[in-house]
Amino acid sequence: MSESLNVLVIDDEEGMREGIKRILAKRGFQVKLAQNGESAIELLDKNVFDIAFVDLKMPGIDGFKVTEYINNKIGNRTVVVIVSALATVEAAVEVTRHGAFDFLVKPFTPADLNHVTDRAVLQSNLIRDREEYLSQLNGERNLSRQLINAMQEGLLVLNIRAEVVLINPKAEFFLNTKFKPSMHARDLFFDKKLVRAIEDTVRFADDTKTNRHAGKEEHAKGITRVFEYVQNGSMLQVRVDPLVREGRVNGVIMIIQDITEVWKAEQDKNRFVSMVAHELKSPLAAIINYNNVIQTGMFDEQPAKIHELLERCNIRADALLELIGDLLYINKRDAGKIEKSIVEVDLRDVLKKQLDFYKVQADKRRITLEFSVPDEPAQVRADQGDLDRIFMNLISNGIKYNRDGGSLAVNMKRTDGVIVTSFSDTGIGMSRKDMDNLFEEFFRVRNSKTGSISGTGLGLATVKRVLSEYNGRITVESEEDVGSTFTVYLPVS
Amino acid sequence: MQGTTVPNILIVDDDTDLLEGQSLFLTQHGYRVETAKSMEEGLQKITSFKPDLILADLMMEQYDSGVVFCKKVKENPVTARTPIIMQTAAPQEIGFSPYTGDAGDRKWLMAEEVLTKPVALEHLLKKLEQYIRGAADE
Repeated sequence: MSESLNVLVIDDEEGMREGIKRILAKRGFQVKLAQNGESAIELLDKNVFDIAFVDLKMPGIDGFKVTEYINNKIGNRTVVVIVSALATVEAAVEVTRHGAFDFLVKPFTPADLNHVTDRAVLQSNLIRDREEYLSQLNGERNLSRQLINAMQEGLLVLNIRAEVVLINPKAEFFLNTKFKPSMHARDLFFDKKLVRAIEDTVRFADDTKTNRHAGKEEHAKGITRVFEYVQNGSMLQVRVDPLVREGRVNGVIMIIQDITEVWKAEQDKNRFVSMVAHELKSPLAAIINYNNVIQTGMFDEQPAKIHELLERCNIRADALLELIGDLLYINKRDAGKIEKSIVEVDLRDVLKKQLDFYKVQADKRRITLEFSVPDEPAQVRADQGDLDRIFMNLISNGIKYNRDGGSLAVNMKRTDGVIVTSFSDTGIGMSRKDMDNLFEEFFRVRNSKTGSISGTGLGLATVKRVLSEYNGRITVESEEDVGSTFTVYLPVS
Repeated sequence: MQGTTVPNILIVDDDTDLLEGQSLFLTQHGYRVETAKSMEEGLQKITSFKPDLILADLMMEQYDSGVVFCKKVKENPVTARTPIIMQTAAPQEIGFSPYTGDAGDRKWLMAEEVLTKPVALEHLLKKLEQYIRGAADE
């Protein structure tokens, strides 16, 4: 055994000190010497020793006092071996009472010294191991604590009386409370059903017979409740489970999660579906109504009127098909199923192509299309189809919402790595409130001026989405009865 | 309740085809019909037209235009007794707070009845008779 332990040898006889040192040094120990109690204490204050050999009979501070001194130190781990000429039982008892580990009788042989040292080393190892275990245990407990404190979910543990035994910071935050002894579930939750569920779960804890009763197993499964924590507008989901140990219910463990995001997404989805239903039904209602009207026979003598109504049906039917197409497109896009090829595209070409396409429609209402593009290329990296879609939507709107004889001016510039394209029309414009909602799905400006304009309400919402995929964005300015300007920003490739 | 032999119906809806379709049908069946394309226009026409019944869409300029329209009509002592029938393609609340309660709770909507679009025109006739003849019998 050759660990490098620190050893202190205290003896007033130089021969003894040096003798012990010589033997111990051979074992690789670091040995320090003291010739009396006082200097021993000085050394003990400055160093940590694994083993101390203490001579009993010394002038001044004797061996017992030194031993007591050592053992009174907090966290002491020095193993004390008393060295003495006295070999009586009383002496041994006395020594042990003072906290020494072992006894070495003078005179002793090197073999005697080594035997005692072996035992002392074992003891020292035991002490060090125990220290390490305790430290690990503490570390682990600290780690557990840290984890519990760091959790983004609220954690609560209640005992069989539904009193709180553990509540982590996140739970305190959610419930706007701080731990107090004897805090009850009732004090924390206003939801009566939740409190009752908690109490039910623990009520059967005491009765081991009922625990095993088949009918009560549902309590063993735990429940989930959602409640709205109105104070800060969040939606919280609470999960209550029995804490089962060795087949018995010991208490209740509760996890609280903030599901506001998910909840809002769910509400948004529900609203979207409602909107879709509304938008799909409206054209059908119009068509069915017109059909019913014609079927009454009231226009049998007026084929022109019938023709007019049927034409309206066609228009509404076309709009319905367009809407369905848009919805499917959005759906596919969201599911990532649209095939795209990202290439270098010159936006100037996209603009010219779309303006050409819409010239016919614009001419029908004598709307002038003007444009200006930069001299140098306006390159972006994107899918050609996406860019077409963006420009199509904006040009189409610029014509639809325009007045007869008006104009749509498109201006493209390249500045600071961004291509800025503005679409300015002389149309009906819109209010501030309309502008705030403009890019929402299905939102359409509805007033007396827009009654005859058809649209799905999905165009701008789609444009915004597509743009954001390319790190672009869109802004709008407008003045009622004057016109609107939409500006698109796309990064240069 | 005007005591006229030809009842006046005001239809308020931003869908011009619906206005046209229902208007043609109801006129054919002996009603005098006036239409309005928005809540504002509807409120303006009430005072001049004095309808015996109003058909209104739930969602017009804003998500809650129909609700606001009802409220204004019912809160005006001159028009408070005019029956209102809401027509809507989405009878569940659109765009209102997602946290509202049961679908059956309509204290916030002061209409006499809510019909789901598309409303069969014959059914509409029955409803009009119910409310107008009912009023006439008073």
